Amino acid sequence: MSYGDFLRGEPAIVTAALTGGVHGKETTPNLPETPEEIGKAAAAVEAAGASVVHVHARRPNGERTFETERFQEIDDAIRRYADDVIIQHSTGGTGAPDADRHRPLRTDPPPEMASLDMGPLNRYDHLTSENTRGLVDSLHEEMVDRGIKPELEVFNDGHLNEVHGLLERRDLADPVYATLIFGPGTLARPRPRNFLNAIDNLPEGALFNTLGFGQNQLPFATMGLLFGGHVRVGLEDNVYYRRGELAESNAQLVERVVRVAEELGRPVATPDQAREILGL
Amino acid sequence: MTCPHLEYRDESDGTRFDEARAYCTAADRFVQPMRADVCNDRYDHAHDRHCEIYLEHADSDGAGRSDDEAVNAGAGSGGRTESEVDDGGER
Repeated sequence: MSYGDFLRGEPAIVTAALTGGVHGKETTPNLPETPEEIGKAAAAVEAAGASVVHVHARRPNGERTFETERFQEIDDAIRRYADDVIIQHSTGGTGAPDADRHRPLRTDPPPEMASLDMGPLNRYDHLTSENTRGLVDSLHEEMVDRGIKPELEVFNDGHLNEVHGLLERRDLADPVYATLIFGPGTLARPRPRNFLNAIDNLPEGALFNTLGFGQNQLPFATMGLLFGGHVRVGLEDNVYYRRGELAESNAQLVERVVRVAEELGRPVATPDQAREILGL
Repeated sequence: MTCPHLEYRDESDGTRFDEARAYCTAADRFVQPMRADVCNDRYDHAHDRHCEIYLEHADSDGAGRSDDEAVNAGAGSGGRTESEVDDGGER
């Protein structure tokens, strides 16, 4: 993927990260948490132009869960409300046992996609998402067995090495699809030159998705669009529409990035186009 | 053992929830869902090792700092700052 893809007006896949697992309604009442709320949010972002929804599961009180049954309830709700959106389950989970990290892969039918974190991530002062190579390999193996497309989550430049290492260890179905993540802490510093460096260091032929946290969400999505990439927005990664103003909904964030894409000459991909691009 | 500062409440300062949510009585705030795992000592989390606000609170008990100072010193188990929100999701 390149600036040439931008010039050619290749379709851009918009992923909406609807809820996440870190913050909840105590941060913004607009965050969907229940299966019903997530299902309706999925329909709204699909109508706004998203073709993929990135899904975490919550207990009734908003806390995290990795239970297959809860993911199943959410998927059922998404399919009830949305038309054809691609479901992407998170396998992330700070401190959660490796066995729990596999549970989101076991719905019936399985999700078409699932996240695969490429390495560790620090949180607060005392927590780390470890994401060992052993876990990465075992999650990938189950994804292959169940026909799930991995979305390789790259938190920093070291994780670009991990992508190349994963390709040396295992056969990944083409095209490789990596999400480049920019923000504070363990993440790559949100600087334009770091974005350019990251896309230069991806494996040959890999597709990339761009994710900036907080105030970096819109500018990094725009850069992703300019360099032929795909984009992720949503309340998981950013709860503000502009400084000091909470976003009203996930759909509001999707609508904005769709306007930017179309203004730049990148049509947004339909779910069917996204499936074709991703080789689903 | 859960954190002694953990309570489940459905209302505080005008914010109301249908389901009772984790509330940190040391910070006087609702707790972010991922931090509730620490409050509840789920998985490999332990409130007395991993919670900044618990540790600050324990320090204040021992070193004579006031609770307010402890609460203000860090984000804590119930705290939330804009930068933490920007820290984004679980992915």
